[in-house]
Amino acid sequence: MNLLLATLAAPLATAAIGAIPGPRRPKEAVLLGGLGATFILALATAGRFLAGETPAAFSGALRVDGLSALVLVLTAFVGLLSGLYSVGYLERNERAGFVSAKRRTELLALVPAYVAAMLLVAVSNNLGVLWIAVEATTLASVFLVAFHNRDTSLEAAWKFLVLGSVGLAFALLGTVLLFASGQGVLGQDMSALDWTRLLAHAGDLHPFTVKLAVVFALVGYATKAGLAPMHTWKPDAYREAPSPAGVLMAVGMMNCSLYALLRVHLVSKAALGPEFSGRLLLGLGLASVLVATPFILVQWNLKRLLAYSSVEHVGIMAVGFGLGGEAAAFGALLHMAYHTFAKPVAFFSAGTLAQLHGSSDFDAIGGGTLGRTPVASGLLLLATLMVTGSPPFGLFWSEMTILKAGFLGPHLAVIALFLAALVVLFCGFFYQVGRLVLGEGPGLVLGEGPGLVLGPDAGTPGRPVRPERLDLAMGTTLVAAVVAVVSSFYLPGSLIALIRAAVRVVEAGT
Amino acid sequence: MIQDFVLLCAAGMLVSIYLMVGQKALVVAIRLYGLQSLLLGAVGVAMGLAEHRTHLFVTAGLTVALKGIVIPLFLLRVIDRVGIRREIEPYLNVPASLLLCLGLTVVGYRVSLGMAGASQGVPHQVVGVALSMVLIGLLLMVTRRKAITQILALLTIENAVFLVAVGATAGMPLVVELGVSFDVILAVLVLGVLVNRIVDRFESMDTSRLSNLKG
Repeated sequence: MNLLLATLAAPLATAAIGAIPGPRRPKEAVLLGGLGATFILALATAGRFLAGETPAAFSGALRVDGLSALVLVLTAFVGLLSGLYSVGYLERNERAGFVSAKRRTELLALVPAYVAAMLLVAVSNNLGVLWIAVEATTLASVFLVAFHNRDTSLEAAWKFLVLGSVGLAFALLGTVLLFASGQGVLGQDMSALDWTRLLAHAGDLHPFTVKLAVVFALVGYATKAGLAPMHTWKPDAYREAPSPAGVLMAVGMMNCSLYALLRVHLVSKAALGPEFSGRLLLGLGLASVLVATPFILVQWNLKRLLAYSSVEHVGIMAVGFGLGGEAAAFGALLHMAYHTFAKPVAFFSAGTLAQLHGSSDFDAIGGGTLGRTPVASGLLLLATLMVTGSPPFGLFWSEMTILKAGFLGPHLAVIALFLAALVVLFCGFFYQVGRLVLGEGPGLVLGEGPGLVLGPDAGTPGRPVRPERLDLAMGTTLVAAVVAVVSSFYLPGSLIALIRAAVRVVEAGT
Repeated sequence: MIQDFVLLCAAGMLVSIYLMVGQKALVVAIRLYGLQSLLLGAVGVAMGLAEHRTHLFVTAGLTVALKGIVIPLFLLRVIDRVGIRREIEPYLNVPASLLLCLGLTVVGYRVSLGMAGASQGVPHQVVGVALSMVLIGLLLMVTRRKAITQILALLTIENAVFLVAVGATAGMPLVVELGVSFDVILAVLVLGVLVNRIVDRFESMDTSRLSNLKG
């Protein structure tokens, strides 16, 4: 059987089995086995690619080039982490009596379904298939956002679906217009929407129609990626989604939306020159970084804080791709890889804190969590170091690569503004997490004397904190942390080869 | 001849969205959407005859069956269950909305002029109509409060996209078209489920109540 199809079938089958009600243990084993197999198959597919083959299926509608292989591997990796954490998450909620059997089935089916849809995005060569896959990710994830069925979850799910659907309608219009622009040269078959063919005949496409198509498609997929000003669904959805789903949205979906953006950008680059869509991406990316700044400074919720950090990072990557040039593209793709390794640690440790303290609002958790839940707090602190791009961790190097490419390029003012915003974001994120983890909390304000201040962040004392245990969720967080730290200093040669191959796709289209 | 017919149907779709903007009864809005979908189906049949492409008949049939009949019936059932019949005062009143729509139509038409040489056989006005519908759909979405109206606005934008697909390209490839239709149906079902949950929870489908999450 075709290896590529097997990679897509594995999570799909896992989702189908997950949807059948049944006893907990075997179903969890199926989830882990399925997602583990998916990861191995994705690695094998990427290995085939590195060996010089071009895995493809359905007469080229699905095709693995360097960019696909990179996104495929990263997505399957996050899918496996999310599966592991899901099992631990359910176990904890089971103990606390939060989640019914029906909800459990929902999670066990939707997580692999979401992964399957994302993997399909990653290997789509046909822009029509790409659109269908992105829509499928939206439909698979909306009930994950509504998972807890609170008032706020419904609100978040509604915003997520309506905004996402408008974005996707725009992307569909863009796809249709691209199809229209190639009518004369590419014909009316399915293959007229193949990215490879569009790219090969880019010079013959009707220029104005391509322009219109690119605007609609970029805005549409940027909505899914959460680039400002279409990012407003993100903080709500991240706060409400359970952590294992949150990490899939924040890392997997972000990478896949960037993949879609890049495919459109590259067609536009070949047809209209690098300026048009490059400037659009640069503008959207800069707007995202700027918009995230004030919201991080005044944030009141840990998971929303992570959402704005995700708006920041997708902005950084968009700036990298928008700048153009090999160095900037390399920086942006390296950023994608490092972000994929670092963000799960932040999400998982934040999720653990939220579960142990019963809320993810700063006020409800209270300051000084390091004293009460040391392991999760320590991991969150480590994740903060990595996610904010502190040296010596990976995101620092990738941000530096992008900045260097930017300062050597023509957009100096933009890059200066970008750098300023990054510095403020760095401080803001540290301030928020520092306040939470190291600040004075209910346990530390027992001293006496006039010097004692009960700060506004003293929290609500008396809320019982569940003790930390080394369960599967915590174990997953630790593994993710080890991967993130090690990857900062040592990237396996094959991963670097994949990134280089992806750079080649972005720069040369092959 | 067939071109004139296509243009007439497209103009009818534009009129239907103006009517949608111009009134507040939800039942009427849903029926207008159904009518709009039937017109879209007619465009599909006409193009199928003109370009001798049989698969356009399949997509036209799907459009009529799903968007002309099934989805409107489903939405009518949802508002029946909810017991809400009228849109409350929109954020922007009706005369002002209609004036804005006029402006948006001009914008859509202007943009479509650039495509004058591109589309095969079909006048670029069809694309102009579709772009205007996309813009008016967006306007409808941000100025109305009822969840059902927002769904209708979304579906109207979707119809506009299909109008471009049928009118300007003589139909997307069948596989893509089927996939897209399937996804649209699923999205409507999911939206319907969410509306039901929202109504159960908030005892209203006024989306301005969905404003607890900020910052």
